[in-house]
Amino acid sequence: MRRLFLALSVLALAAGCKTAPEPVPEAPKPPETPAPPPEDPNAFRQQPPKPGEPPELVLPKFEQARLDNGLTVLVSTRKELPLVYTGVAFAAGGSQDPKGKWGLADVSYKMLLEGAAGKDTTALDQAFQDLGVSPSVSVSPDGAFVGARVLKRHADAALALLSDVTRKPNLAQKDFDRRKKLQLAELVRAMGSPGFLAQQAYLDAVFGPEHPYGHPVSGLPATVDTLTLQDVKAFYGKSVGPKAAALVMTGDITLEEAVGLAKKYFGDWKSNAQPPPVPPTPAATPRQQVVFVPKPGLDQTMIVVGRPGIAVGHPDEYALDLATTVFGGFFGSRLNMNLREDKGYSYGAGASADARLGVGPLTASSAVRKDVTGPALGEFFGEMKGIQERPITEKELAAAREGLIRAIPGEFESVEGLGSSAASLFFLRRPMDEYARTVEGLEKATPAEVQRVAEAYLGPAAMQVVLVGDPAVIQEQVGPLNLGKLVAKEPVAPPSKK
Amino acid sequence: MKKALITAAVLALGLPAFAQQQQEAKPLVPGREALAIPYEKYTLPNGLEVLLAQDKKLPVVAVNVWYHVGAYNEQPGRTGFAHLFEHMMFQGSKHVPDDVHIAMLEQLGANDLNGTTNFDRTNYFETVPTNHLATALWLESDRMGFLLDALDEKKLRTQQEVVKNERRQGVETRPYGLAQEKLWKALFPAPHPYHGKVIGSMEDLDAANVEDVKGFFRTWYAPSNATLAVVGDFDPQEARALIEKYFGTLPGGPKPEKPKVAPVKLTGEKVIRHDEQVGTLPQVTMAWLTPPYFTGEDATADVLANALGTGKSSRLYKRLVLEKGLAQSVSATQQSLGAQSVFFIEATARPGVSSDALAKELDAVLEEVRRGGMTQQELDRARTRFETQMLAGLQSVGGFGGKADALQSYNHYTGDPGYLDEDLERYDSVTADRVRDFARDYLKPDARVVLHAVPAQKGPISAAKETH
Repeated sequence: MRRLFLALSVLALAAGCKTAPEPVPEAPKPPETPAPPPEDPNAFRQQPPKPGEPPELVLPKFEQARLDNGLTVLVSTRKELPLVYTGVAFAAGGSQDPKGKWGLADVSYKMLLEGAAGKDTTALDQAFQDLGVSPSVSVSPDGAFVGARVLKRHADAALALLSDVTRKPNLAQKDFDRRKKLQLAELVRAMGSPGFLAQQAYLDAVFGPEHPYGHPVSGLPATVDTLTLQDVKAFYGKSVGPKAAALVMTGDITLEEAVGLAKKYFGDWKSNAQPPPVPPTPAATPRQQVVFVPKPGLDQTMIVVGRPGIAVGHPDEYALDLATTVFGGFFGSRLNMNLREDKGYSYGAGASADARLGVGPLTASSAVRKDVTGPALGEFFGEMKGIQERPITEKELAAAREGLIRAIPGEFESVEGLGSSAASLFFLRRPMDEYARTVEGLEKATPAEVQRVAEAYLGPAAMQVVLVGDPAVIQEQVGPLNLGKLVAKEPVAPPSKK
Repeated sequence: MKKALITAAVLALGLPAFAQQQQEAKPLVPGREALAIPYEKYTLPNGLEVLLAQDKKLPVVAVNVWYHVGAYNEQPGRTGFAHLFEHMMFQGSKHVPDDVHIAMLEQLGANDLNGTTNFDRTNYFETVPTNHLATALWLESDRMGFLLDALDEKKLRTQQEVVKNERRQGVETRPYGLAQEKLWKALFPAPHPYHGKVIGSMEDLDAANVEDVKGFFRTWYAPSNATLAVVGDFDPQEARALIEKYFGTLPGGPKPEKPKVAPVKLTGEKVIRHDEQVGTLPQVTMAWLTPPYFTGEDATADVLANALGTGKSSRLYKRLVLEKGLAQSVSATQQSLGAQSVFFIEATARPGVSSDALAKELDAVLEEVRRGGMTQQELDRARTRFETQMLAGLQSVGGFGGKADALQSYNHYTGDPGYLDEDLERYDSVTADRVRDFARDYLKPDARVVLHAVPAQKGPISAAKETH
């Protein structure tokens, strides 16, 4: 546990005292710019102030323990407020969906909150509501998390419920039938969202349907339609157990307290579920075609461009992080400053390298005004070529490096933030000092390395292109760019009722 | 604190002394001590209000400026202007080069960095490492004092395009986006400033010109119409000195008059049927006008909304989703606003279910509440949720809805940044009977707007037939 007390004077506030601001000239810092000419009292504003000494870089501190049955306990202590975020992280996520059964992990984990230990859906929810929370379940390709944020005084009770949910889910047929209907309807709803249509087509284009990362976690109507309660029970048996799970507790809690609670509620949990294997590395193949999902009349075109990127722990990870930050990570990145601030084509454009347990996607995307679909896509490719033509400058690199490193402390203000990071460390099988390694990696990446990695990963040739928008506009504007054959991919229709 | 010395220095400079409140956090009821926010409030001679609150949890400090102007203050024919103007505030000012504001902050490690506009106010915020407090104050003060020196036509034209894209993303291409806009228009007929969405109409965004920007800035962006909050790990003396340096020297002006707007009263049921082009499931939304933020039964409305729509055991979910199997999702919200609040209930249908069938069920749930109010258990749960949420909101010093925003919000709506205590009391005083009376008096079936967003049945995305 760490609490920071910087050596700053802590001034007691005395009620009712009258004070006024100090005059500035004697202020020890920030140092003044040269004496202003008398005619402009605002000359001191011409230069940004010199920053003071940087504070110590406070990184989040994670601790872990393991119970005899293999359950991982992950803790980050933060005592300022009487809040605890607690949940169970499961090592198997959407990437573990069997072929033809996409969406199984998502539906299975959602089933945990449909009733447990004999309490039905409503009674289970009421028990959580009494603690002032609605539990949430989130499923990602590399794992799943069921958790809740509670006042410290409710931590024990919350864990009792989480233990029921994890170890004794009802998995009842009628709840499953309803859950499946909800999932199918949710997919009908998602079909109205240009973002979902883009994501579905993009994962298919980059990973292909055979790869564990090649489909949305929610599944697709045709695959969810095949799911049965037996599938859910099989997934649960194979995936949910102490060797493939972590109890996460962050906030007003110590490792010792958390281990005590873990033993109390999970100590006698037995199951042979094992963590899944790391997904295989997909090939980054040259682009053969441009895929588009037709949405006639859509006012904007969704542009998603990308390829397989990198797995967590790869030696290029930090150099790539810096390169994508310069290219499209920050608001002030090349891509956003071009498409949004210079041209007004979009509300925003960005890029990121999603380092997963296996090789994750490297993606650049933007929603652009319909009538500039062609020019905007041209700018994406212009910026990719630009990485070679206009190499990343020292100034750009320094800004990305400093910005990423110095932002870390402020990213961990909340117990939820600490909790989701702890869960990520577990999903990605990272050591507890991951953030120290991140800082070191970002500090040590040389300009030559960053440029090499940028050229290797951001080159245009292997970038797949997926568009969602008006088919006439896409044909007319994207065709002439010669980026590959235009292939229309209709959104998947929900299966008819059986 | 070397008070004597500072006072002497002030006299020597001949600055006017000014009133100042220093607040110890009010004692809160036992068990709620963690919700206290000790702060100081003072006002500079030019009218700028300053709020300081220390929080040394992490070596970061939030700088957060609220301008007491929002879409409420717009002129007819210029909807969306307050938000468009917010974009202009990032484009550079006399001493800050064009369009580097965000990039400068990003590269020194800022988080939670943005500006937002709603009906009642506009805010700008960033959380920076402690050693960059001066940089943030320099940036914020330059755009408060010297925006127009760097304004030009080209910048405005580009941001008009950016904002129109933002609108396309959030309205035209978002499921139910255009439908919701119709709902706001029906709730607040023109010329009420809440007519439509904060982002405004495409026509009005196109019509904005440089003179509008100048006029808006001169009227509403005076220091006397703004409040600066600094929250986090800083030295109060140093912060005061920096604030004096960067903001104290900006010219003052009178605090602008808040426009008076006659309250709207709905005198019947307005039903809108919208031909939904983006969303794929039918949706029904019911909306009522309710008392303004922090007045009357606003807290009662909040408790009711929270209890009706939160969790699988809530009345709406239980009936429409679990028992009847008609709805895909349900929600209830009291959107608290300065002029008049809006109470919303919304349900999205399963494929093959009509929005009318949902409306009928919503009415049945409402009728129950109008007759019998709520149970004590439902009330208690809602209250525990509020308390936990409030505490959770105080974890971040800045950002959207963090500690700085909490102080600012109380200050903006009530004049008292330390209103959290009274705010909690509002919720404590809600009773089951008050909920019943509120539902009966405000959520009337004949004084509301009902919006049906019905997707066009077409092509590959036709819904599967379901039998019920």
